[in-house]
Amino acid sequence: MTTMTPPQAQPLSEPQTIPTPTRNRSFRALEPSRAGIVIRWIWLSLAGVLAFFPFYAMVVLSLKPGQVVELPGSLIPWQDVSFASYEQVLSGQNILGWLGNTLIYSLVSVVAVLFLSALAGYAFAKKRFAGKEVMFWSFLAMVMVPFHVTLIPMFILMAGIGGVDTYWGLILPTLANAQAVFLMRQFIQGLPDDLFEAARIDGAGEFRIFLRIVLPLCKPILATLGIFVFLWHWNDFLWPLIIAKSNAMFTLTVGISSLQQQNVPLSTMLAGSVVALAPIFFAYLIAQRYVQEGVTGTGIKG
Amino acid sequence: MRVSKFTALAAGAAAIALLAGCSAGSGGGGASSGEQKVTVWLYPVIADEATHKQFWDDTIAAFEKDHKDITVDYEIFPWANRDEALQTAIAAGKGPDLVYLIPDQLAAYQKSIQPLNDLLSKDRQDELLPNVKKSATIDGDLLGAPILTSALPLLCNAAAFEQAGVTEYPKTWDDVREIAPKFTEKGLYVLNYPASPEMTLNMTYYPLLWQAGGQVFTKDGDVGFDSDEGEAALSFITDLAKDGALDPEALTTTVPLEQTAVAQGKVGCTWNNAVPEVEPFWGAENVKVLPPLTGKESVAYGTVGSLSVLKASKAQDAAAQFAEYATSADVVKPYLLASGFFSALSDTEPLYADDPLLGEVEKYVPDTTVGELDTSSRALMGVLAPEIQASLLGQKSPADALKDAATAAAPLLNK
Amino acid sequence: MTTTTSTAPPKSRVARVLARREARVAFLFVLPAFLLFIAFRFGPTIAGVGLSFFAYDISGEITFKGLANFQRMVADPLFWRALGTTVLYTVFAVPISLVLSTLLALGVRRAFRGARFFRSIFFLPVITSLVLAGSIFVWIFSGNGPWSKLMAPLGLGGSWLGSTVLVIPAIVIVGVWSRFGYGMMIMIAAMQDIPRELEEAALMDGANSWQRFRSIILPHLKPTVFFLAVIETTAAFQVFDVIYVMTQGGPANASYSLVYMLYDQGFKYFDYGYAAAIGVALFVMTLAVALIQRLVIGKQK
Repeated sequence: MTTMTPPQAQPLSEPQTIPTPTRNRSFRALEPSRAGIVIRWIWLSLAGVLAFFPFYAMVVLSLKPGQVVELPGSLIPWQDVSFASYEQVLSGQNILGWLGNTLIYSLVSVVAVLFLSALAGYAFAKKRFAGKEVMFWSFLAMVMVPFHVTLIPMFILMAGIGGVDTYWGLILPTLANAQAVFLMRQFIQGLPDDLFEAARIDGAGEFRIFLRIVLPLCKPILATLGIFVFLWHWNDFLWPLIIAKSNAMFTLTVGISSLQQQNVPLSTMLAGSVVALAPIFFAYLIAQRYVQEGVTGTGIKG
Repeated sequence: MRVSKFTALAAGAAAIALLAGCSAGSGGGGASSGEQKVTVWLYPVIADEATHKQFWDDTIAAFEKDHKDITVDYEIFPWANRDEALQTAIAAGKGPDLVYLIPDQLAAYQKSIQPLNDLLSKDRQDELLPNVKKSATIDGDLLGAPILTSALPLLCNAAAFEQAGVTEYPKTWDDVREIAPKFTEKGLYVLNYPASPEMTLNMTYYPLLWQAGGQVFTKDGDVGFDSDEGEAALSFITDLAKDGALDPEALTTTVPLEQTAVAQGKVGCTWNNAVPEVEPFWGAENVKVLPPLTGKESVAYGTVGSLSVLKASKAQDAAAQFAEYATSADVVKPYLLASGFFSALSDTEPLYADDPLLGEVEKYVPDTTVGELDTSSRALMGVLAPEIQASLLGQKSPADALKDAATAAAPLLNK
Repeated sequence: MTTTTSTAPPKSRVARVLARREARVAFLFVLPAFLLFIAFRFGPTIAGVGLSFFAYDISGEITFKGLANFQRMVADPLFWRALGTTVLYTVFAVPISLVLSTLLALGVRRAFRGARFFRSIFFLPVITSLVLAGSIFVWIFSGNGPWSKLMAPLGLGGSWLGSTVLVIPAIVIVGVWSRFGYGMMIMIAAMQDIPRELEEAALMDGANSWQRFRSIILPHLKPTVFFLAVIETTAAFQVFDVIYVMTQGGPANASYSLVYMLYDQGFKYFDYGYAAAIGVALFVMTLAVALIQRLVIGKQK
């Protein structure tokens, strides 16, 4: 069944109403009529087709190498199918290398961002120290700054410390994630203090409290945040473009876009795009429940 | 807010970090004494990566054998975004010693390139084709060791001409105007004119400008296209667009080659495609190599690829030596044959004597031009191309488009 | 936003020692993130803003130019064009995206057999990088593409990407396609907060779906709508990927957005100072939008 249960005890900036249970028969009243159901299915399907069409076209056209695309013939999936474009793109291009780089970029960043922002968010949420408000608001202010303003100085800095064309040079600057800190703070603020007090009284060290109590409680927000940070890094384009010089360091987005300038046929480009998109699509299909629950449940709606 | 010692610490860390970044200029190869290391950045001139790498491995091995104190490392970067990659690297002091550049880049990076007047042997400098040497020289400085050239005369599709019922290939602009309606009648296009923003004007508008007797830049460094000649060139192509003689899609969008009208045999002639590009689609028997069109003059564009030594290089001599070696006639021959380009040197035999098509194109090499070079060449294209599009799409008169482009170019030229 | 710790102010010496220890630990916890911010956010931002007062070119020469970059910007018709294009894009993309998100959220919020399937489909574009999807969209909008064929009977056939008038709607479509799923998810969450009894009661009172929507659902959604509006507006103002991939600012600069101009000036023409000035302008505008939001939502609360 679908996840219609309201989110559990998530801290939001406004109080959340939890619907009280009602008797079953009154649910019926709100359900649409037979006709209503059919109408709903029709226009949802229409919207679904429009949303999905680009992906469909991508896959089908990638299987029709060397052809001039004609409508509607080229969109029929079972005519003239060949995997030649995939062979070409997988053997002639460094797609697997790009895939590896993107995985490293995304996974390492996720772990690091989650850890660092949880640490900082916890401190902002539960601790008192001088300059806290100023620091926190300056974090927030950085969200407003368009990335491109900082791009050139960031590159010059990375080049100066020898980070160009390296994994750590790629990853490190992206770990400064203000939204992550903000979300962690929001979430942790909603956690009851007694748990920490009790552990403190028992003599547990602060870091231990963080690891053993705070982090486990944050699982829902960590899952959601992790997914979004992962996605953001997977699809990141401009920064990997600037920091990676050699083909070996390209991420998928940079690599696929470099195909555009190589005058490759359309089907090869699309094959490359399909290969680049496939991993997250599968990951999404598996993890979609968490994504959906996460977006709906953790007060990202503010 | 009182400044806590924490904030002071953080500020200090930031200052150090930024200073470290700003003093990046001193970064770079600390080679052991006596031994010089040369880094070369290249691009996929030869499309097949394996062949390309093989050539450079062999060339470097032979060079290093004769020069025991020099090691050469090369890296092949994709064409995509090469300027971003290169100029950010140069700005951060992490550029290569030697890099492959085309004339517009020579102009753009002029301040960062070491002139080769003293680093390249006199013999070699005399060996260069005159037009090639001119293309690589700015303000009297030879900014690169030319390794290849191209030539883009007129290529016409015999099959398309047959379909249109036209028997004579065009020589002048008037010829084109005359035969255009015949192509349009049959649902074909008389010329190929891609005008999307990333298409370089060198291959599209500038040849027309030069054929009309005009220039991109005047001798004083002002824009030269907002002249009568410029207007004549733009009007020529705009009128064709208005009459439906050009593929409207090509005027605005870049699509993969096999999807374009020219690949599908729907276009009569082109001066912006190379023989290897169209031959697979038209069939070798249909490719006709012809002299460039004549407005007032007959002019074709031909690029020059050079290996340039950067000023920041710590091994300039070694880099220049390698450049001279790699671009010498015997060494570079397999490179040219594999890539379909032509020799930049004047005393070599024709490379493509056996190839009827490329052999024909080769004859035009000594007459091609890259036009006038200026530091702001690329920026200028950026403001001129959209105005040309506006004219082609019928939104402005050619005269107005060129005038607006000249106005927009004013701040670019003041640098 | 206030802190939630509500311990009594430390009075005894032990309490003060503990408080100092707490503060030290807190510093340490925040330190890694803060150092990263200094190095990669504050520092570069200040440098980026500062750069706008200089001319910095590819050879590393820096010359102080005062306000010259800003004067050039104000006098530059291309800048105003880019601003106009960006505003035009935003004005269309944001409302359309919000309406679409709301409509679809209404459609899939209840539990029915296909709900999860549809939600997944609608969310797929959100996880798709436009850089990767660009080539298929160029084909879709090209003269031979399905969209042109669809629009032909309406007299709007031909490549939309080739028309200076229709290119913006084309980009809006792609932009909306890319983002509506996100808004939809958020709307669903907001709608789930609404107690069912309210809607049932309204139904019993004889209200039809439109009336139920207007008087019950919509008021509940207001804060969410505003939140989404700000997020979407900020994102729309920074539209870049779709333009980079599909139109490169054309035709004839008809789709030249502000961020694209920043990128163009900085990375194609190497004029970092001017690009930085545009970045500052963008920054100021984004800040203005956020402030307006703060005022409006502030009033809501």
